[in-house]
Amino acid sequence: MKLSIIIVPAFILVCLAQLYVPISMIRNREAILRYGKEFKFLTAPIDPSDPFRGKYIVLNFTQNIFPVEDASAWPEDKVIYLHLQTNQNGFATISKISQAPPADTIDYIASKVEYVSHHNGRNHVFFQFPFDRFYMEESKAYEAELAYTASQQDTTQQTYALVRVKEGEAVLSDVLINGVPIKEMVERQRQ
Amino acid sequence: MHLLKELPELVQAGVIPQDTADKIQLYYRTKAGKPQNRLLLVSGILGALLIGLGIILIIAHNWDDLSRSVKTVLVFLPLLIGQLAGGYTLLKKQKNSGWRESSATFLFLSVGATIALVSQVYHIPGNLSTFLFTWMLLCLPLVYLLKSNFASLLFLAGITWYAVEGGYGKQDYTYWWLLLLILPHYFLLCKSRPESNFTSFHHWLVPLSLLVGLGTVASQTEELLLICYMSLLGVFILVGYSKFFKSSRFSSNGYLILGYLGSAGILITMSFKLLWENISRAELNILSPEMLAACFISGVGITLLVVKWQKQQVISLLEFVFLFFILLFALAHLSALAATIFTNLLVLIIGLTVVRAGARRNNLGLLNAGLLFITALIVARFFDTNMSFVLRGILFVLVGLGFFLANFYMLKKRTTHEA
Repeated sequence: MKLSIIIVPAFILVCLAQLYVPISMIRNREAILRYGKEFKFLTAPIDPSDPFRGKYIVLNFTQNIFPVEDASAWPEDKVIYLHLQTNQNGFATISKISQAPPADTIDYIASKVEYVSHHNGRNHVFFQFPFDRFYMEESKAYEAELAYTASQQDTTQQTYALVRVKEGEAVLSDVLINGVPIKEMVERQRQ
Repeated sequence: MHLLKELPELVQAGVIPQDTADKIQLYYRTKAGKPQNRLLLVSGILGALLIGLGIILIIAHNWDDLSRSVKTVLVFLPLLIGQLAGGYTLLKKQKNSGWRESSATFLFLSVGATIALVSQVYHIPGNLSTFLFTWMLLCLPLVYLLKSNFASLLFLAGITWYAVEGGYGKQDYTYWWLLLLILPHYFLLCKSRPESNFTSFHHWLVPLSLLVGLGTVASQTEELLLICYMSLLGVFILVGYSKFFKSSRFSSNGYLILGYLGSAGILITMSFKLLWENISRAELNILSPEMLAACFISGVGITLLVVKWQKQQVISLLEFVFLFFILLFALAHLSALAATIFTNLLVLIIGLTVVRAGARRNNLGLLNAGLLFITALIVARFFDTNMSFVLRGILFVLVGLGFFLANFYMLKKRTTHEA
């Protein structure tokens, strides 16, 4: 059949494209996990769900604002770069934000301006980290939230996200409460 | 099929010869297609749909016991099975619609499952619109290569969801390009199989998608969207009345039904003065996307009307009611009260026209639809607090009587005719 001379190769091309998309997603993330620098971000999780990807915990980071002088220079949805530093407690902090990738450091993450708001006498840029979801087994997501709430009652406990960063991109590798992975924490509580 | 059941009796009574009865039987059998084939097609699609959705749900559970590398390998399993089934269909079963539809449906869903699982394994943050966009774009070719109508329906549903996620409030018009990409398949389907069930489903899903997609146009002058919707519904009614739909069933004429219901809904809603007052205060930006969309859609509607008028075809009131609405919109900027009064009058006139048409054609459904429309108007007025209770009560009694008398009169007329 003449038509299949075009249709079959076209179908093979479509199949390759369908394979290419997930493979390139995996390659990119694996490279960051393998060669990226590790940071710990202090966080506060809760448990919603996604129709396709299942249950996850949302990570709200404690430092999601940064003071700026001129509010009009930071329009909504503008791509920004968060310069990272590690403080004396070992947690990541944002030392600076810029509108171009920094030349002096490789420790930065690309993000977007959510909005600019005036409070405490200064303008502040609000942004979201590109790793705000941690997918969990559906039975564990709710218990993870409970574990987190319990840890909140105790001020000595700290919840943080372990993130690998490379060339502006970041991949979340785990969420921990006082150094124990949240999955393990749930399993321990079940025993 | 009643006629087929009656055939032996008709032959026995000598109304038609056996030869004609055989021909009639043959005609209907060929027209309906082999029942076995249709059953296979439906069960094939349903099976693929359920398995595909089941896989998505199983994946969504997120198995902790599996390592990242095992999960990564598993990601590709449904996708590869789907691709193999698609390839096999193309090489060996190209003419079998059951194979084409079910392999395309399974592959369609497994592409979504694969991307979702990768996002889950690597905790990629939630951006449903990018996910839907990638998924739809990767699956669009399946519609054309595997000639799958069900994949086309899935694509339409997917891009409509994408319009809401990625287009609402963001001035993103990608949805319209995606819609353009599926239209050639729709037109081919209408041309090659105008009476098929798949075509009927498309006649519903395409206008529904358009209505939802129109929301992507909203920016600062949202009031103008009312004209866009009203004109689009007017275009639907015109399309629904077109020659193409003349021989098709009413239930498969999604354009006409949505056009009727939508226009009626907007008109009843706009019979409240408060809404026209809001519109009269709105500042209209001439170059806003809503204005351009309103001009374009109304232009299409007017063109269709002119063509129909030139062909000297009968034009019903509902086909050009969108033009009245534009006038009312303009009038509201002079007087909101006048616009409200005229909207109420328009609803009443449409209701009465439909009742009259129902009575003339001896059609109880049409008659009651008209009466329902008038009742909806009166119920709407019931909520207007500035009308006295007595007046509202009298109106309700009158409409109730109207319902009773009109139906009674019609049934009586039918009995007289039958006698």
